[in-house]
Amino acid sequence: MQNRKKPLFWLFRDWRLYLMLIVPVAWYVMFCYKPMVGVIIAFQKFSLVKGMAGSTWTGLENFEFVMNLRDFPLALKNTLWLNFMGLIMGFPVPIILAIMLNEIRNRGVKRVSQTLLYLPHFLSWIIIGGMVLKIFAPTTGVVNASLLRSGIIKENIPFLTEGPTWQLTYTIVGVWQNMGWGTILYLSAITGINMELFEAAKIDGANKMQQIWHVTLPGIRSTIAVLLILNVGQMMNISFDRPYILGNTLVQDYCDVLSTFVYRTGITNAKFDRATAIGLFQSVVGLVMISAANFVTKKLGEDGIW
Amino acid sequence: MKKIMTLVLALVLAFSCMCLPSFAEVEYDLTLRVEVFDRSIAGLNLEDCWQLHYAQEHFGDPNGIKLQFVPVSRWEEGDILTTQISGETAADICITYNGDLVNALIADGGVYALDDLVDEYGANIVAFLGENLLSYGAFDPDGDGVKAQYTIPARRISVVNQGAFVRSDWLKALDMEEPKTIDELEEYLYAAKDAELGGEMTIPFSYAIFTSNPMFAMRYYISAFVNFDEITEEDWIAYKDNPEMLPGAKEAFELFNKWYHDGVLYENFAVDTDSTIGDTYMTQGYFGYFLQQYDQPWRTDKNYQAEMAKNVEGAEWIPVNAWANIYNGKTYHDNYDAAGLTIFVPGWVSEETAAAAIKYLDWMCVPENMFAMQNGVDGINYHGLDENGLPLNAVPTDQVPDEHKMHVGDVVFISNGYNFGDDAKNAAYVARSFPGYEAQVAQSVLYSNTDAWTQISFTVPIQEATDYSATVITKQNELIAQTISCDPADFDAVWDEYIQAILDAGADKVIEAYRQAYLDGNYRGTFPAAN
Repeated sequence: MQNRKKPLFWLFRDWRLYLMLIVPVAWYVMFCYKPMVGVIIAFQKFSLVKGMAGSTWTGLENFEFVMNLRDFPLALKNTLWLNFMGLIMGFPVPIILAIMLNEIRNRGVKRVSQTLLYLPHFLSWIIIGGMVLKIFAPTTGVVNASLLRSGIIKENIPFLTEGPTWQLTYTIVGVWQNMGWGTILYLSAITGINMELFEAAKIDGANKMQQIWHVTLPGIRSTIAVLLILNVGQMMNISFDRPYILGNTLVQDYCDVLSTFVYRTGITNAKFDRATAIGLFQSVVGLVMISAANFVTKKLGEDGIW
Repeated sequence: MKKIMTLVLALVLAFSCMCLPSFAEVEYDLTLRVEVFDRSIAGLNLEDCWQLHYAQEHFGDPNGIKLQFVPVSRWEEGDILTTQISGETAADICITYNGDLVNALIADGGVYALDDLVDEYGANIVAFLGENLLSYGAFDPDGDGVKAQYTIPARRISVVNQGAFVRSDWLKALDMEEPKTIDELEEYLYAAKDAELGGEMTIPFSYAIFTSNPMFAMRYYISAFVNFDEITEEDWIAYKDNPEMLPGAKEAFELFNKWYHDGVLYENFAVDTDSTIGDTYMTQGYFGYFLQQYDQPWRTDKNYQAEMAKNVEGAEWIPVNAWANIYNGKTYHDNYDAAGLTIFVPGWVSEETAAAAIKYLDWMCVPENMFAMQNGVDGINYHGLDENGLPLNAVPTDQVPDEHKMHVGDVVFISNGYNFGDDAKNAAYVARSFPGYEAQVAQSVLYSNTDAWTQISFTVPIQEATDYSATVITKQNELIAQTISCDPADFDAVWDEYIQAILDAGADKVIEAYRQAYLDGNYRGTFPAAN
């Protein structure tokens, strides 16, 4: 067995490959590990001039300040709620889409629909924000204007102007943007399923739906599990641009999330120690969540991610 | 072959990650690095521009100083400067609009105290700014009563701030005079709505929320409803950032609520915060009134007037001064204080470099030098001078050859606006930079200076303002959006709810801190009623 050979043997034999690895490893060290040292400023009254070594230690003062702000519980709640809605509504969509795409037999049609589905992923949120406003604005937005004029509705549908409906708009726009991109992993997982299983199912008299249920879905089950764990681990993280751009003043208490909160209370007035404190808090909760999800998945008989 | 390819790839990757150090020239005694704002003007390379070469030739070479411009994006200047300071790569002369950042740096000992250097080398700086303005840069970080000159404020040549505008073609169509009071304005708005002067989409009153500074507009409107006999200077200063707390403020919001529900006020004001839709409406001529900077309709970069006139024949914006105080008839406008952006020298530079920095600023304040640096070359950037010595026929930047392109404000940052030595000349030159609209701009300036008071600022850093202002502002935005759009029956409840939310967001602490600063005498600016 080759595996019994000493590690150094592999290092010498493939040293050129390991040399190639140096650059990405260096990248990770410099941009992912080295900055981790910076979390200590969450426990300091950080001075730009004196740096980390010269700043005074303040214990948990930054955490206390931030968590006592009126908007912190709101931002935390909105972050979790928006992510939860995104997970519930957004997670199954790429799976269904991937299975549907997989069933398209005409290669041309398949390619074109895939490309069209990927497209929104490459649009910046600035552009999507402009589109959303033109489509969903009260009275003048395409949807409200046509419904009002045709007499179907009497009052504007408050897509952007009332909190709970705004949250729904936010989620649906997010699902629309990401669903195509999300299919890539599932499609490749489906390709990996042994064709003989489908043939066997057919011979046993399984129709299309039964094949999908009994062959395709179990075949990509581990991929689904891994992605679910990763998604749950991201529950505390939320991008900045999407809520910041789609949000507006009327729904401030519903669109304010941790990232926009950090921007306001930490970045705009150069209070990096407080911004770091929130970041650290997010990471710790995220770690707990991802560990819990991993634990549950393993208990359910899947592989998990570690 | 595969192995060799891998090796080559690995080496290419590794080499592409390195950068070779460049060799510095050594013919000068020292290099002075000067921050300049970069607005990405096509063809203008700030690191190799005419203004730099001029300054190098007339200031740098005679003094043995190598000048270097450090361009920083105007739109992210605060963030970039913060990064540069924490890495000690900031320029030797830094400029910023971020007062919080400067306060924090002074408190940390990160800013060079310039008193001796200004005394020794800064006679022209003092002459240009004046002692009073220069005192805006004096701080007392440790609270021992001794102030030091940590920063040098830029001088605003024009302190005019907001202006309001109505459609003269609409007034003509309605056979109305220019509104002089709120009632007359209201009459005009409702009449314009009824007559559908802008077509089916007529929106007589455009309200913009200005989310980063919501009180820009609201403070102006509120001051028309405040009984200044009932409030003291202390209240005025304590509520500097919270005019919604002043008695009478509620009436302004109530009026807007009524206008909103009568279809007079722009319905999407709270959603269309960056004016994506509003700008289109503006150019389509749907709006009948708006409030902005005093010169907004005629600015060359976003000329609302010209764009609208293209679509609607005869459409014209004229300045209006209708927000007369309901108690005394005065039309209060706030003016900027004369201090513009902040200039400072980082604390870690050597004494020689700091001295060179002051010498450079001093050189820039000499009238001939400032004229050359602001106006460029006769025959290229302008053609001839008038009898007052003001340049004629200034050539637009995009028509100037690249090697002569310049940005006045970003390089001659100590003067916020063209300076020709006296106020009358400066005002004349400002009006001339709006060709075709000189009369309207002059009228707008006149209105904006009517019953004007100077914005309040403090001579000590107010920590509470740094800590809470951003959260307070978001609640103020909500107060405006919610009280204007809510059901009139719920108005009082919504008002109370958001006023409480503003206080809870930290406004109570800020107000107390401002009150204390007033009692300690650490403030500047004017109380409107004192005029």
